[in-house]
Amino acid sequence: MWLWFSKLGSPRWFYELSSKWLPWLYAAMAILGLVGLTWALLFVPEDYQQGETIRIMYVHVPVASISLACFPLMAVAGTITLVWKMKLADMVAKCAAPIGLWFTGLALATGAIWGEPIWGTWWAWDARLTSMLIQFFLFIGVVALRSAIESPDNAAKACAVLSIVGAINVPIIKYSVEWWNTLHQPSSDYSMDPVSPNPPEVWVPLFIMICAVYVFFVITLILRTRNEILVRERRSQWVKDLVARA
Amino acid sequence: MTQPTSTSSAVTVSTSAAFVATLKRDLLVAFKRRNDLLNPIMFFLIVVTLFPLGVSSDPVELARISAGVVWVSALLASMLSLDNLYRADYEDGSLEQLLLSPQPLYFLVLAKNIAHWLIAGLPVVVLSPLLAYMLYLPQEAYVTLVLSLLIGTPVLSLIGSIGVALTVGLGSRGLILAVIVLPLSTPVLIIGAKAVTDIMFGLPVGSHFALLGAILALTLTMAPLASAAALRISVN
Repeated sequence: MWLWFSKLGSPRWFYELSSKWLPWLYAAMAILGLVGLTWALLFVPEDYQQGETIRIMYVHVPVASISLACFPLMAVAGTITLVWKMKLADMVAKCAAPIGLWFTGLALATGAIWGEPIWGTWWAWDARLTSMLIQFFLFIGVVALRSAIESPDNAAKACAVLSIVGAINVPIIKYSVEWWNTLHQPSSDYSMDPVSPNPPEVWVPLFIMICAVYVFFVITLILRTRNEILVRERRSQWVKDLVARA
Repeated sequence: MTQPTSTSSAVTVSTSAAFVATLKRDLLVAFKRRNDLLNPIMFFLIVVTLFPLGVSSDPVELARISAGVVWVSALLASMLSLDNLYRADYEDGSLEQLLLSPQPLYFLVLAKNIAHWLIAGLPVVVLSPLLAYMLYLPQEAYVTLVLSLLIGTPVLSLIGSIGVALTVGLGSRGLILAVIVLPLSTPVLIIGAKAVTDIMFGLPVGSHFALLGAILALTLTMAPLASAAALRISVN
């Protein structure tokens, strides 16, 4: 276990291993994405209230769920950076921040597109929208701090501290805002009962889409991390060999 | 055999003495530079004055937004004065001495944060009833406003301290401090302003104060740890 852990911390090992993972991940994303999208866009019945508009849910919910997972991920990676000084963890944290920023932005954008026909407005000061917006600002803060500090080591540690503080703050923001004002529908329960308001024919494609977008997120994260590894290790022999071979 | 740690020149200072000394020093420095002392209050006053000019002078409308205006202005005033917390100490090297001192950094940071609150937070709290009067805040809300600011502004100092500690080493920071600190401060703003608005509508506000108190307890114990860690990173 500890050997595996220290090995995983080696950027070279991760680079080599991830190149083996990537084809599988591409395949998984292609299958899940194709099945999920066709199902969601063509075969899911129209919602009795929202009509065709409901289909944007199949993009909105996966994107939003990942944007929520990103801050805890950065906090965990940051803790590993601070405690074990693992280089790879910081590279992952660095690459996760802009992706999280994008996904939060996408969740806000798709939410606005969904909200316009349903709530009749692009934006409302609703609890979830507001907490997403504040999370968007928190991501901007992490990205800005990273780019403002010149020394990579200091930037790594500073961003780790900020990510941990932010991750503690995200639930507090969420609850305070929720308690402040709420209009957004709560998450629906999943049910196997075909006559429930949320039958399997609605949520199974959603589940597939969530998986697809998660795989997409992992692929993006791995690709960015691989670039980061090459940049940071550009003076090491194995990267030089790799470039010479290419 | 003599103890290896005690040399003839070393003076042992207890943590509490160091805490008091740091607090006193920061207050003294602030008193010597009157600008630092006056700027947060002046800023608070001016920002609050801008709202009637920008929104409306109508008493009903102003009363409705008064709680939020006072709270947002207090938040901005606290943030604007954050630089005093570590900036000058970083530039003249005394921050390094603070980090090298044998006492736990947690308490020294806490002392500096308390000093910042006494300089930038407490005057705002004291001045807030006057500004609330100018904004036609209903009479029954005064106590709630002052109390919520009294519990809330220390949190702003403590959270802001993390942001300054993270950015103190940067040459040109621009707005990065605000980008980091403001989102983290939103829960206090929400709860504090809502407490005042709710009392205006005759709603109970006990839970608001419980939440504010919980946030204060959390930041009082955790935030100096993060500030201390951030300072050690920034002053490398």
